[in-house]
Amino acid sequence: MTLMVSVSVVRCPLYPAQRAFHASALLRRVSDEQKQEPPPSSSQQRFESHPPGDQPDQEPQRSHHSYTDQGGEESEDYESEEQLQQRILTAALEFVPAHGWTGDAIAEGAKALGLSVAAAGMFHSDGSELILHFVSQCNSELSNLLEEQQKLVQLGQAEKKKTDQFLRDAVEARLRMLIPYIEKWPQAVSILLLPHNIPSSLNLLTSMVDDMWHYAGDQSTDINWYTRRTVLAGIYNTTELVMMQDSSPDFEETWHFLENRIADAMKMGITAKQVQLTGEALVQGLMGAAVTIKNLAGLNQRR
Amino acid sequence: SAKFTPLPKMAASIGAVVCRALHSRRHGKFLSIGRGLFSGARCLVAEGETHFGFQTVSETEKGEKVYHVFESVAKKYDIMNDSMSLGIHRLWKDILLHQMNPYPGTQLLDVAGGTGDIAFRFINYVRSQWEHQIRQKLKSHQNLSWQEISKSYQEEELKLPGGSQVVVCDINKEMLKVGKQKAQHLGYSEGLSWVVGNAEELPFNDSKFDVYTIAFGIRNVTHIDQALQEAYRVLKPGGRFLCLEFSQVNNPLFSRLYDLYSFQVIPVLGEIIAGDWKSYQYLVESIRHFPAQEEFKAMIEDAGFLKVEYRNLTSGIVAIHSGFKL
Repeated sequence: MTLMVSVSVVRCPLYPAQRAFHASALLRRVSDEQKQEPPPSSSQQRFESHPPGDQPDQEPQRSHHSYTDQGGEESEDYESEEQLQQRILTAALEFVPAHGWTGDAIAEGAKALGLSVAAAGMFHSDGSELILHFVSQCNSELSNLLEEQQKLVQLGQAEKKKTDQFLRDAVEARLRMLIPYIEKWPQAVSILLLPHNIPSSLNLLTSMVDDMWHYAGDQSTDINWYTRRTVLAGIYNTTELVMMQDSSPDFEETWHFLENRIADAMKMGITAKQVQLTGEALVQGLMGAAVTIKNLAGLNQRR
Repeated sequence: SAKFTPLPKMAASIGAVVCRALHSRRHGKFLSIGRGLFSGARCLVAEGETHFGFQTVSETEKGEKVYHVFESVAKKYDIMNDSMSLGIHRLWKDILLHQMNPYPGTQLLDVAGGTGDIAFRFINYVRSQWEHQIRQKLKSHQNLSWQEISKSYQEEELKLPGGSQVVVCDINKEMLKVGKQKAQHLGYSEGLSWVVGNAEELPFNDSKFDVYTIAFGIRNVTHIDQALQEAYRVLKPGGRFLCLEFSQVNNPLFSRLYDLYSFQVIPVLGEIIAGDWKSYQYLVESIRHFPAQEEFKAMIEDAGFLKVEYRNLTSGIVAIHSGFKL
């Protein structure tokens, strides 16, 4: 919000009143926005740091419900730059199988919306924003899915799943969203690993993993919180890699792999506990042996 | 209005002082932005008057004077560009094209594009992109027959790939003539048109172009805001405005060197190479009068463009401003 506002507000008073009007309209809209808008869902807004402001739109026929659904009071004609960008990126997803995750797909998306292809110039030519948009979209879809499942459980209409089953289903559901784009997905992953994209992509990954554990019922407050998320992130990433070169029908191999990894993780948790207990028992045994030897050697007698 | 005969070293500063003195006598007030003697110093003028370099002229006069300047330099324009900027202007224009990143099928309007530099670069860019796209397409279809492959390379050979088109518009017929000759010489024929027109009143319908560029032209326009409004009008929704223009240098030390070079070396080069001292004196003076980056950005936003950004090249000697019609 501050970013948007500062661009329009800081200016020389010599300039015509039109711009002052723009600015005051913007400020009014933004302050309205702030009162109405519920706290944004974490996974969707994570990489967009400011909520939509408003600018008068030149073409009323392009109005339609805003992507973030601000509520009925907002006039349908006003659409902020961010919302327009979101629309373009969503439209561009359709062209990804043909053009890959590139600026070309974004240009085609803009064309599909009736805008000029030059609108793709608003984004990076390497398609980073498109991929981040897609990932963020998938994450919010996953959130909604898990939320619904939780509601069903709370209403008693479904049974509560065990942790490993729950995680398996969540990861499978999330990975299935990649299926339409699976051919070009390796390209997307490589772009996400570019240095300037790593903060955002890491952010999205951690928030997704966080969501999954939250709905799985994790309430830990110690080191477990970190280890669980790290482990799940590792499972997710490796399963994704397997999926990219899996050619079995309906990716059976991938789900099989996932099952094994989760089982490993569970076992690892149990094993860790066992190791700890064994360690303690061992230490106690040694202490006992030491005391016995001292007794035998007569060192424990008090003279 | 003052005529400047260059004296060593202090020429420009004396000139600016004289200019200010004149204005204060005639108009009783002047506005100076405290950024150094003449870089950015703008004198307020009365209604109907504007700047021609450091002179004050009426608005109608400015148009005529600018026309005469470019009429006389047209034939040597390219050579002078190379010698004045030491060839760097080519890099600037390449960077502009790279930032534009035109998709095949783009309709480009290049205003004040006289000798066609931007237009030719656009054509090259679109062609090389198209070849890349064809190669990508062929990679995914591995079972094409040789006939089909040769056909896909031959297609669109006569037209520009994807139907891209560039219209070069300039107010000056001499500059367009030089441009057409260059095009013929270099072999650019398709997808290129040459139109005489005034940037303040473009002879085109609304919403016709995807990209509007104006490279080193907008400072010569009498009413810059009108030119910006015309740009907004002829662009399609989603279209992009790109302006490559001289701007204010932000580094003070570099700025001194630059000023020295501008006022001492460039007019001399103009005299030697093009036989025209005054036109190049006008050139460097007009650069000083053009608004700085932020101010120009505000003007572009006033015309209705959104997402306006600028990028300095060569530490501010030149800046590329970009805006979208959304």
